[in-house]
Amino acid sequence: MAVAPQSRPLGVTRSPAAVPARSRRPFRDNPRLILASILLLAVAGVATLFFADRSSRLSPDFLTEFVLYALSVADLTLLVALGFVLARYIVKLLVERRRALPFARFRAKIVTLLLGMTLIPAVLVLFVGSELIRNSVERWFNAPMDEMLSSANQIAGDYYAERQRIVNDEAVRIARELAPLDLATPDLTAVRQVVDPKVAGQRVAMVEVYRVDPAGTPRPAVTLVVGAEAPGLGLGPSGYNRASADRLAERAAAGNVEPHPPEPVGTAGELIRGVAPVRGADGRVVGVVVASDHLTGGMAARSRRMTDAYEAYAQLRVLKRPLTGVYLSFFVMVTLMILVSSAWMGLYLAKRITRPVQALAAAAREIGAGHLDHRVERETADEFGSLVDAFNAMASELAGSRRKLEQSAVDLERKHAEVEARRRYIETILERIATGVVSVDADGRVTTVNSAASRLLGLDGRVAGEPAERVFSRSGLEPLLAVLENAGGSASDPSAHEIALARGDRELHLAAAATKLHGEGGQQEGTVLVFEDITPLIRAQKVAAWREVARRLAHEIKNPLTPIQLCAERLRRHFSGAPPATRGLVDECTGTIVGEVESLKALVDEFSQFARMPAPKRVPTDLHQLLTDALGLYNGLFQDVRITAEFGADLPAVRVDPGQIRRVIINLVDNAIEAMERRGAVSVGTSHDAPNQVVRITVADNGPGIPPSER
Amino acid sequence: MRTLLAAVGVTVLAAGTALAAADAIRVVSLVKDQRIFVSFTLESGVTEDLRAAIDSGLPTAISYDVELRREAAGWFDKTLQSVAVSAIVQYDNLTRRYRLTLTVDGLGEEPTITEDRETVRRWLTTFDRMPLFTTERLETNVEYYVRVRARSRPWITWFFWPWDRGSASGVAKFTLIR
Repeated sequence: MAVAPQSRPLGVTRSPAAVPARSRRPFRDNPRLILASILLLAVAGVATLFFADRSSRLSPDFLTEFVLYALSVADLTLLVALGFVLARYIVKLLVERRRALPFARFRAKIVTLLLGMTLIPAVLVLFVGSELIRNSVERWFNAPMDEMLSSANQIAGDYYAERQRIVNDEAVRIARELAPLDLATPDLTAVRQVVDPKVAGQRVAMVEVYRVDPAGTPRPAVTLVVGAEAPGLGLGPSGYNRASADRLAERAAAGNVEPHPPEPVGTAGELIRGVAPVRGADGRVVGVVVASDHLTGGMAARSRRMTDAYEAYAQLRVLKRPLTGVYLSFFVMVTLMILVSSAWMGLYLAKRITRPVQALAAAAREIGAGHLDHRVERETADEFGSLVDAFNAMASELAGSRRKLEQSAVDLERKHAEVEARRRYIETILERIATGVVSVDADGRVTTVNSAASRLLGLDGRVAGEPAERVFSRSGLEPLLAVLENAGGSASDPSAHEIALARGDRELHLAAAATKLHGEGGQQEGTVLVFEDITPLIRAQKVAAWREVARRLAHEIKNPLTPIQLCAERLRRHFSGAPPATRGLVDECTGTIVGEVESLKALVDEFSQFARMPAPKRVPTDLHQLLTDALGLYNGLFQDVRITAEFGADLPAVRVDPGQIRRVIINLVDNAIEAMERRGAVSVGTSHDAPNQVVRITVADNGPGIPPSER
Repeated sequence: MRTLLAAVGVTVLAAGTALAAADAIRVVSLVKDQRIFVSFTLESGVTEDLRAAIDSGLPTAISYDVELRREAAGWFDKTLQSVAVSAIVQYDNLTRRYRLTLTVDGLGEEPTITEDRETVRRWLTTFDRMPLFTTERLETNVEYYVRVRARSRPWITWFFWPWDRGSASGVAKFTLIR
């Protein structure tokens, strides 16, 4: 299973965008190594069992010297390995729990369970098996066996000791008998006469007589002088070597009388030797007698077997504890192998089980953190692999959904921006248009009031949120409340009303319409009240009506004036020949008629000009002079009217139509005089508004003013 | 250079575990003729366990590690020379004789046969004036010591800890004077 290196502790997740090169596979992910380890462990176990089966054939010394050492080393190694595995596991567990890593408790439970399932039976078996081994070893030794083997060994030993004593005694006896004899003489008949009867009488099987040469260095030299053996001894040339007898003689001649072991003679048995020095009259050792007794092969072998059996038994008893240790060590080693294997296997299984889940959890956290491109690498083809595949599929779908969602959010944001722009556009329009707009929500509270509405109705922005009924119940706004309450159900229903509101000292004419707003479900969402100031329109309509009236009146009046004037001139011409008095009267009357006709024409012209204002002809004009001339017309006309001029200083020349301005001033002054009923004061003033580059003309009177309905 | 009799060792007892309850080795060192003679005796003698091992016919040995050492301040003492002396005995239950062998650094002499237990005990535990070291390369007026540690074989002690070989030890200090 490959691990993609990541900065995170759990390195099993990867980003499909960048998959780094695979690093060396760890042991736990290498099936070959795991298989090799299992095989090695199995071989070790089989070898242990094989060795244990054949341990009875090994010598106890080898078992206690070598095997116990090896087993103890193996036990300690396994114990250290077990301790290491457990300590590592405990430390890792503590670290994981301290870091609050996921699945630490789950892994601890799995490992503890597996360890417990193995440890408890293993320890129980260890205790029981140890006790069985100890009991079995104890059963090797019992009193009857002790008695039997000890007795057999005692018999064999006593037999050897008795034969040794006999041969020793015979050697001493021969040595005494040879003491008076000269062993250096060539004639050894006397010596043979002593030796041969001993051999012939079967007291000993073999006698060798040595002469001692004291001049030998460093030891005294010995020379065989007589050798005799019992007839039919049959040792043969290959079974008996006289050299051993020579060495015994040399040692005896040197005064060494230490005991010597029986000498094996091939398959013919053993020779039990007795050595005795032959001392001369002066007490010096002049010779050595080596007497030998022969134990047949069967007898010697049986005696040796009895002793060997006893020694083996005794050695087992002596080595009982180390031998018990050997078998216990076998047992402990197998137990430790099982424990180490189970501990490691538990950790391995726990990791194998929890690691994919940990990887899934880590990947889930990554995805939860918004890293939807993270994937979990599939490690196995089992159910965990299917789970990983399902998780990755889910992550892919999540990523796709998220991309769609992000696209939708982008679209939504774009639409929101468009709506916002449209809202700002509409708001701007609402703020800029002269039409007043007031919106009321479904609860009857004012939500928006545009600036035109505020200006027209005298409201400010603080009315937003107040009940519309209370807002429009104020003095002068009641008609709007009626409009609002009678709002139409649809935008196509204009239901516009022309209403007049008294706004201070003037009257405001509004065309108002209210429309109820409905949601997509048909529920009422509020009402929009729209109204427009139509006061200028009304005034224009009035002016237009008056203009029409004037035009028609002028037309009707002007039509008969020309005939009247012509008739008057005809009368003057007709009566030009009349008497002077008549002619004078006619002239006076016709002159009056013509004059009045001219006045009427002038009046008609005035009406005509009212009906259709001529285009202004602006020329640089001295405004003060113009005003002075216009006001000069009123000098002496009205006794109770005082007309004053209050001109501003430094008034620049302005480009105006002097005639029209003159008529405007005269009309305003005339209106003022008429409004004051020809009694009062009229003030005409000028001022220069330099910043705005405006010249202002003011005509004021102290009359009653213009009623609101006529403004 | 004239060599003087230098020092008499001082026995220092050290406890062991397997040879006997009060395992200690009495050590005496003697410097003479540029050689250091060491005499040492295993105080506890032959224990019952060792006696049983011998009587069972097992080759039984007591090995002595004899070391000439010099104390080092603040560090482990330095071993200048060392000799391994092993006394081996094997009993033949058939002939009831003991076969005694002595090896020094692995080199053995001709075995000795005896029937006497006391001889066996002395053979195993008592060593008299063994010329084990030389005074070459030793400094004068410096205190040295001879340490002897004994181990028995075969192991007949507790079964589970094979390294517990029951060593006994003894030390004899001396100062080399020329």
